[in-house]
Parts: sequence; structure tokens; C-alpha cells
Amino acid sequence: MLSVKLMVTLGIALAAYFVLILVFLKNRAIELRYTLLWIFSGIVMGIMLLFPQAFRAFINLLGITSTMNGLFVFFIGVLIMLCMSLTSIVSRQTNKLRTLTQELAILEKRIRELERSTSPKRSGQLPLHDFPQIDPDQDQGIDRQGPLTAQGHGDGYDV
Amino acid sequence: MDNRLKILIIIPAYNEAANLLQVVENIRRHCPQCDHLVVDDGSTDDTAALCARHGICAVHLPINLGIGGAVQTGYRYAFKNHYDIAVQIDGDGQHDVSYLPDLLQPLIDQEADIAIGSRFINKEGFQSSPLRRMGIHFLSFLIRLCTGVHIYDVTSGFRAVNRRFIRLYAGQYPVDYPEPEAIIAAVMQQGAIREVPVVMRERGSGSSSIRGLKSAYYMIKVSLSILICRITFGIRR
Repeated sequence: MLSVKLMVTLGIALAAYFVLILVFLKNRAIELRYTLLWIFSGIVMGIMLLFPQAFRAFINLLGITSTMNGLFVFFIGVLIMLCMSLTSIVSRQTNKLRTLTQELAILEKRIRELERSTSPKRSGQLPLHDFPQIDPDQDQGIDRQGPLTAQGHGDGYDV
Repeated sequence: MDNRLKILIIIPAYNEAANLLQVVENIRRHCPQCDHLVVDDGSTDDTAALCARHGICAVHLPINLGIGGAVQTGYRYAFKNHYDIAVQIDGDGQHDVSYLPDLLQPLIDQEADIAIGSRFINKEGFQSSPLRRMGIHFLSFLIRLCTGVHIYDVTSGFRAVNRRFIRLYAGQYPVDYPEPEAIIAAVMQQGAIREVPVVMRERGSGSSSIRGLKSAYYMIKVSLSILICRITFGIRR
């Protein structure tokens, strides 16, 4: 059986957990759909706290005799699930980022060609990020932050 | 070579400024009717400046995506620009474009969807180190075991694909060390694959990205991805 002391501690922790989720949501620091799993596990934890007998019966069913061990097993399970969902979110975002990068590069090429074909007097000018190799001693007059410096390219080449 | 077909040669390049010009010059000399596209995978050397200086057709990825992402950019470009055939060759000068007509022939004759330039059929030219050959033979065996299709040079990056596979690869292409995985994905999509004997050279300068511990990682990762690709395609069907 869970002791009353432990139930109170877990209850306070659970309340803090929900407040934290709410604060994150209020500040739009996380999207609602990503918090669904967090909220769901919070509700399960709440049910466990309110009906400890049910939890005890459940862990007995799994063959775990000690309540504390049951709690650990349960929370580790929840954490692994959360990690897996995070990995899946990261993978999906990696995919999207890759597609975006590819489309951006293809579009940039198109813009470069369009610029070259529409403004013949600028045809001698180098494309967006093809700055000539600059001698640092003479790098005074070129405005590298000027409008022609494609913002998106800075990261890739200035490593 | 059929002049009515629009053919794009995709050259993924990461810090290959030393070899790139030679590769493009070879293409211009041997296949003037083909377009080329260098996919500069976020190089930190002067690849971009080199392309601008010599009028090399190039897209510049702002972030390094790795070989898979770079090649996929090429397929995406080929798909958007309605190319009939896309050929990928390495930017390090290993592949001899004078073999391109041989590579394209099965596609032009509509005998195959994918043609792979293989150095192990006639066993001529650069054959790679014995250890690497062993690894390649193992992957080849694994692909044969999973699909029943025997391909000798599964890691060859010299390959040509038709419009159907340009579309498929533009949508989905394996990320790192993609060559063997792309083959099994193609087999699973019921693509006809043909190997064409070619002679490869040793890379111009620089060194291969797969060395030491990375080789072990490569073998484990690729074997696993072949197995997973086989299993998941089995489920999807």
C-alpha cells in the first residue's frame, strides 16, 4: 500500500507537473499536440494516486510484489514511451528540414538564373553567395551584410 | 545516344573542388548533349566560387545533408525539370563518363529502369581493397538473399535511372550510405535493374569518407537497413 506521506508527495509533484505543462502551453513554448502524451501520462498517474488498490492489483498481475518497484517500472515505461515519441518527432522534422533545404537550394538556383537573364548589365556580377576569395587585409569596402548576401547561406559557408 | 531524351548528370560534391572541374570537363567533352548538375552539399572549400567561375550548373545546399540528401536534391531537380533519365556520378573523378552510352543503353532500349555501372563484371580497372571487396560481396549476398536479385557492385555510385525512378527517388531516398538501400528499394518497387560493366579509376585526390571504425558502422548500418527495408516493404505490400 502507498503510504499517505508518499501519496501527498506524489500528489504535489503531479500538481506541479500539470502547472508546468500549462505554463509551457500558455507561453506557447510547446505545441498542444506534443503535450498530449504528457497530459495522458499525468492523468494515468493521477488515477494511480486516487485508486492505489487498482494500481496494486495491476502490478500484482505483472508479477511485481513491491509497490515501489511497480512505481519505478511504470515510470521507466512511461519515460521510454516519451523518448520514442520524441525520436519520432525529431525524425519527422529531419525529413521536413531536408526537403526544405533541397527546395531552397533548387529555388536559389532558379533565382540566380532569372537574375542573370533579366538584368544583362549585372551579368558580370557573381551569384548570391559566390563572393570572390577575399583578402582579409583588404576586406574593408565590401558590405557582406548587404541585401545581396542571402541570409540563409551564411551558416553553410562561414563555418 | 538518343538526342531526343533529356538527360541530367547529377554530381554530388562535398569539398571536391580539386576534382570537380576535371569531372565536369570530362562530361562536356564526352557527353555534350547531357545536362549536368553539381549538388554542392554545403562544401566549405571554394566549390561554389569554382562553379561560378567556370559556369558549372550547380545548386548549393545551405546545410550539409550527406550524400543521400545531395543525390535526392538532384533527383528532385530532374523531376521538376522533366528529365527522362538521371545519371549520378561521384564528384571525386572515380567514374569514367566515356562509359555513359553503355550505361544509358538499357534505359533507352527500355530493358531496365535502373542501370548500375559495375566494376566487378569484367574485373578491370580499380577494384578497391580486398577488405572492401569482401564487404561489397557480403552486401551483394545479403541483397540476393533478401530479394533474389544478384547485383555485383552494390555500392557503385555510377548509375542511371528512368523517369519512373526519378519520381520515386525524388520523393524518397535513403539518407546515409544510400547506394545498397536504393537498390533494394528499387527491387521492392518491381524495378528492373541491369548491371553494365565499367572501368573505374582510383579517386583523383582526397580520401574516401568510409575509413577505420566508420567501415564497421557502415557494414552494420547498411546490413540492418537492407533487412529493415525488406521487412517493411513486405508489410506494406
